[in-house]
Amino acid sequence: MASTGPLQPLKRRDSSATREDDQLIIIPLGAGNEVGRSCVYMSYKGKTVLFDCGIHLAYSGMAALPYFDEIDPSMIDVLLITHFHLDHAASLPYFLEKTTFKGRVFMTYPTKAIYKLLLTDYVKVSKVSVEDMLFNEQDINRSMDKIEVIDFHQTVEVNGIRFWCYTAGHVLGAAMFMVDIAGVRVLYTGDYSREEDRHLRAAETPLFSPDVCIIESTYGVRQHQPQHVREKRFTDVIHTTISEGGRVLIPVFALGRAQELLLILDEYWSTHPELQNIPIYYASPLAKRCLSVYETYLHSMNDRIRSKHAAKSNPFVFKYISPIKSIENFKDVGPSVVMASPGGLQSGLSRQLFDMWCSDRKNACVLPGYLVEGTLAKTIINEPKEVTLMNGLTAPLNMQVHNISFSAHADSAQTSAFLEELLPNNIILVHGEAKEMGRLKQKLIGQFADRNVKIFNPKNCQSVEMYFNSQKMAKTIGRLGERTPEVGETVSGLLVKKGFTYQIMAPDDLHIFSQLSTANITQRITIPYAGAFSVLNHRLKQIFESVESSTDEESGIPMLRVHERVTVKQDSEKLISLHWSSDPVSDMVSDSIVALVVNINREIPKVVVEAEAIKTEEENGKKVEKVIYALLVSLFGDVKAGENGKLVITVDGNVAELDKQSGDVVSENEGLKERIRTAFQRIQSAVKPIPLSAS
Amino acid sequence: MGTSVQVTPLCGVYNENPLSYLVSIDDFNFLIDCGWHDHFDPTILQPLSKVASTIDAVLLSYPDTLHLGALPYAVKQLGLSAPVFTTEPTYRLGLLTMYDQYLSRKQVSDFDLFTLDDIDSAFQKVTRLTYSQNHHLSGKGEGIVIAPHVAGHLLGGTVWKITKDGEDVIYAVDLNHRKERHLNGTVLASFVRPAVLITDAYNALNNQPYRRGEKENEFGETIKKTLGAGGNVLLPVDTAGRVFELILILEQYWTDKSLNYPIFFLTYVASSTIDYVKSFLEWMSDSIAKSFEQNRENPFLLKNVTFLINKSELDNAPDGPKVVIASMASLEVGFSHDIFVEWASDAKNLVLFTERGQFATLARILQADPPPKAVKVAMSKRVPLVGEELIAYEEEQNRIKKEETLKATLIKEETKASHGADIDASDPMVVDVSNTHALPDVAGPHGGGYRDILIDGFVPSSTSVAPMFPFYENTFEWDDFGEVINPDDYVIKDEDMDQTGMHVGGYLDAKFDEGSTSMMLDTKPSKVVSNELTVQVKCLLIYMDFEGRSDGRSIKSILSHVAPLKLVLVHGSAEATEHLKQHCLKHVCPHVYAPHIEETIDVTSDLCAYKVQLSEKLMSNVLFKKLGDYEIAWVDAEVAKTDGGTLSLNPCSTTAPPHKSVLVGDLKMADFKQFLASKGIQVEFAGGALRCGEYVTIRKVGDASQKGGASGPQQILIEGPLCEDYYKIRDYLYSQFFLL
Repeated sequence: MASTGPLQPLKRRDSSATREDDQLIIIPLGAGNEVGRSCVYMSYKGKTVLFDCGIHLAYSGMAALPYFDEIDPSMIDVLLITHFHLDHAASLPYFLEKTTFKGRVFMTYPTKAIYKLLLTDYVKVSKVSVEDMLFNEQDINRSMDKIEVIDFHQTVEVNGIRFWCYTAGHVLGAAMFMVDIAGVRVLYTGDYSREEDRHLRAAETPLFSPDVCIIESTYGVRQHQPQHVREKRFTDVIHTTISEGGRVLIPVFALGRAQELLLILDEYWSTHPELQNIPIYYASPLAKRCLSVYETYLHSMNDRIRSKHAAKSNPFVFKYISPIKSIENFKDVGPSVVMASPGGLQSGLSRQLFDMWCSDRKNACVLPGYLVEGTLAKTIINEPKEVTLMNGLTAPLNMQVHNISFSAHADSAQTSAFLEELLPNNIILVHGEAKEMGRLKQKLIGQFADRNVKIFNPKNCQSVEMYFNSQKMAKTIGRLGERTPEVGETVSGLLVKKGFTYQIMAPDDLHIFSQLSTANITQRITIPYAGAFSVLNHRLKQIFESVESSTDEESGIPMLRVHERVTVKQDSEKLISLHWSSDPVSDMVSDSIVALVVNINREIPKVVVEAEAIKTEEENGKKVEKVIYALLVSLFGDVKAGENGKLVITVDGNVAELDKQSGDVVSENEGLKERIRTAFQRIQSAVKPIPLSAS
Repeated sequence: MGTSVQVTPLCGVYNENPLSYLVSIDDFNFLIDCGWHDHFDPTILQPLSKVASTIDAVLLSYPDTLHLGALPYAVKQLGLSAPVFTTEPTYRLGLLTMYDQYLSRKQVSDFDLFTLDDIDSAFQKVTRLTYSQNHHLSGKGEGIVIAPHVAGHLLGGTVWKITKDGEDVIYAVDLNHRKERHLNGTVLASFVRPAVLITDAYNALNNQPYRRGEKENEFGETIKKTLGAGGNVLLPVDTAGRVFELILILEQYWTDKSLNYPIFFLTYVASSTIDYVKSFLEWMSDSIAKSFEQNRENPFLLKNVTFLINKSELDNAPDGPKVVIASMASLEVGFSHDIFVEWASDAKNLVLFTERGQFATLARILQADPPPKAVKVAMSKRVPLVGEELIAYEEEQNRIKKEETLKATLIKEETKASHGADIDASDPMVVDVSNTHALPDVAGPHGGGYRDILIDGFVPSSTSVAPMFPFYENTFEWDDFGEVINPDDYVIKDEDMDQTGMHVGGYLDAKFDEGSTSMMLDTKPSKVVSNELTVQVKCLLIYMDFEGRSDGRSIKSILSHVAPLKLVLVHGSAEATEHLKQHCLKHVCPHVYAPHIEETIDVTSDLCAYKVQLSEKLMSNVLFKKLGDYEIAWVDAEVAKTDGGTLSLNPCSTTAPPHKSVLVGDLKMADFKQFLASKGIQVEFAGGALRCGEYVTIRKVGDASQKGGASGPQQILIEGPLCEDYYKIRDYLYSQFFLL
């Protein structure tokens, strides 16, 4: 098992390693009962997957990272990134470059393209000291080489882990990952939305029901207003503010929802000629750079955008919206609408504008995204009397503040409906504030009360353990599979495992059904031997049970066949040769023949005294006993002689009795019994003389 | 027994005709590819017409005419109604290819095999998949999984993998294993030991060595030379196939050498083609994907190539040397045909073929060695009707209209049982119709529209005396509180936004801009004038292979690597097919088939199999050895039945009889030589054997090159005198294997 986190129980179970193997462990390293730094660890059957690798926007430096200390990064096979948002992807350069991680990373094409732009921008704008920087631009560029791309629905297999992704809505390129390890499926939704908007498709419903669904719970039990109501509120607020001569600030996250809002504003302006002299500014050079990505990956968007593209109008060329680079280029004369990043008003252009405009009653600030705990945006939504400006002074907060959520996260109704369609056996809630998540959990428990569905909402680093008793099925193919055997018959052959599929086949079929092949090695060794061939025959018969003499059909030279394995030929007066086909027993037989021949060459043959031979037999018996005992002691430790020549073996309080004659084992512990029996069989086959039939 | 698999070629075996094969897997009929050639001769679709209605699914592999050209015709005329599966680029580029074919044809003939609408409706049956997407079929095909994989050659090109019960049937034709500028090489080599592989013999005899850099340079040089000498260069290509590679090569060459000769890409759909290709980056090569991710450089934002959809635009271009890339590659129809006729007589010009022309087309004739001095070509042109013909046409049209109107009114009359006078009343309107129509320029493309409005709108109601616009009086219901309201009128509809967005769409709007030229043709009375003329071929004709298909040698090595249990050969000249068949029988597998048209061959695998459950007890005693991707172990087990009735394997209750030991591993003599040398042993090859040290020799016995089912395990012989070296080398030899 890869994980050895302190919260993870380390007790060993009695029931052998197989049960450990069936344990599926899921640990949120981030986004457990919080929003931000998404990172979920999963391990099953020795395979390890990490979903997402984000940072927490309200913290900086190392504190913003998920709890990577809890895991061993070098054990992770696959890292899957769902979308480009910072809270899902921004610790990736750190993880790839500064830890021992050596697995493979996957994300979709649009995500990878935007990831680079976004993080490069993040590094530039984040105002932290150099030592607090988690990574720099070089790290990002290097990480690009390690990131592999995956297309929606494309199935990829790494180390026996199969995975593919579905459209998740939310932002361009957002994916939900389905991971299949040995038949157990886990769906990780990332951030998703089941509502189609102006440019994105709604999240798909996977065809297969997963065993485990790790699902976001950002909005908990809250319900979104219908799309058109939200849009109307949004446009109304803007329209009223402008007509009263005010300015509208829309702090947005540079990418994702901003594109949707631009599409809404552009459309609204085009239908309201009276507004067309009011400028809309979009202050994000980053978004401008990303535009070509939006223009290229149209196939990840919905049919509306695609048909517009087919009709030759680029939907991302806006008529009424002009970009501005920075506050210096911005002429603040009269009413205007400005969309600026970041969305949380932490720093940057949106904050500068906020500081300028916050004390004027005519102005308005529309917060369209999800408000992260700990940001200024979250603070002003409660309409405090005063706010602290960036220069440390306080100013009265007079501007109107509206929170009209356009964030493409599933709401309570969507989550319920989605889970109802999926019907997973286990639901794990992540990515939500503790309170909201708790409420959602209660709601889901009610919803699935009559069905056997378990719902978890682990905190960070708290592991969820599940057991999947997967049955291993093997396919017996080829010659072995010609006849289905009856109960009680034995099947012997090669068990070949590739990924998580097993096949049993005859050795001769190996090269047909796999890329492996078998080989026979024939050996031929020549030894000088000047003595009579009959002497050799006599001596061999003394040692081996079976020696057949014959003559070679072609050359007519005499030959001996020892144990039906090794052929000894007298090639000439001075030379004999040994032929055999390699395997451990034959090698041993041939070695002893060689030793014998060398001995004959060296000394005058001695007559062996009969009595010695008998004594040897008796001694052998004792020796065998001793060897068996010694080997058992070395394996199990506490071994005592019991009644009737039985051996009593005690391991950790479990007692077993072994009958040395029959090999029967009596014990209450099945595992121990099985182990002793196998060990004894192996010992016996090691000390017993070579059986004649062994071929 | 395994899954039953039958293959029946419908077209394209023992010759280079279009591809179309029927593959039945447990009685589920796949039509793989549905090709036609540039002549559009319906007789070659005869075999398809017999089975079209029984097809359950269509799989398309490439977006060119040879692989999907017959789809609209088959859907319209032959009763093909199955769902179609293909990749997004194949769908989109295939659609454009068919538009281009239709428009080119319509320009020069009264082409009536299918219309643009037929193309649209055929392509609406398409389900689009991405590479490596496992699509599970439902219904009759339950249990069958299809997956497209990268094939190379053309954008969106597909190797189809059809899986049922763990057995793979792979269809892979026109492969390219090499990475190109815009495409990755095929992944066919990653599939090993499929039950059935269907592949082509098209290039089996073509063993051209491949040197990309040199070839591209030569290509550029040749063009530059002609342009430098004041000649024009024509590159006949297919609408949306290899042309992308050529465009990228030319772009690069032009940039490298800072040339400023104009390059024109001229097809009826050129600009939409490039528009779509720009958004297909995820289907292209890794290097393209990478450069976009890193620098957002889209290679299809072309600097040197201009797209034209109309020949007059080309004629308006300034004089002087230029490169024109035009469809079709066969030179049979399309802009390439016209340009060839214009340019062929000038010795300065160059016609550069980048692929072998389809059989019996003008391009193929010109590629003969030596090229013909003169060729006869049919020049056809669509000309608007004038004078008497126009009058005759209009009279004919009027007559038809009149009859139709008469019929329509008669029907209405019957249903409404109206007065006889109505017929007279509608007559003036009919006259009106013909008047508008007599002025085709005014009516323009909307002629049909006017007609409909005039007839439909102006049928007077049976109660009126004279024709008048329909007028409906709105009546209001009143009650004590005023007007009765319908609450539904005040419900805000959710879809409002959707509708506003969707109106712009129109699913297949793409065609209109290019299609409009021919829309005019459809409505304007016109006729086709053709005459045959002999063109003196004085211009330079060169053929350079930019087909992007693997050469014969590579195909053979891929085949022996894939080593299918059964191999079916299709598409390729008779010699090539026979050659590849003989080669594969010897080196790939013992079951090689090359069926004739409509000959059904059964390639059901003779694989026997049953499933067993492996008990936990057994597995806890098995020690696996790891060998590459595989883990392998010897098992002796006893068969038992589980509660569920399936067979399971438990450990043997008695000691299993010893088994013959098995050595697993693949010894490569050359690798072993290196290994021994690294261990400080003198090694050399002598007479097919490896001499190690002074006395010991190792040799491989028997034909080891064949990997197929016929050959047994490798036979290795080691011999030498009794000495220390012998045992040392034997140990090294053993270390190459796993003993089980």
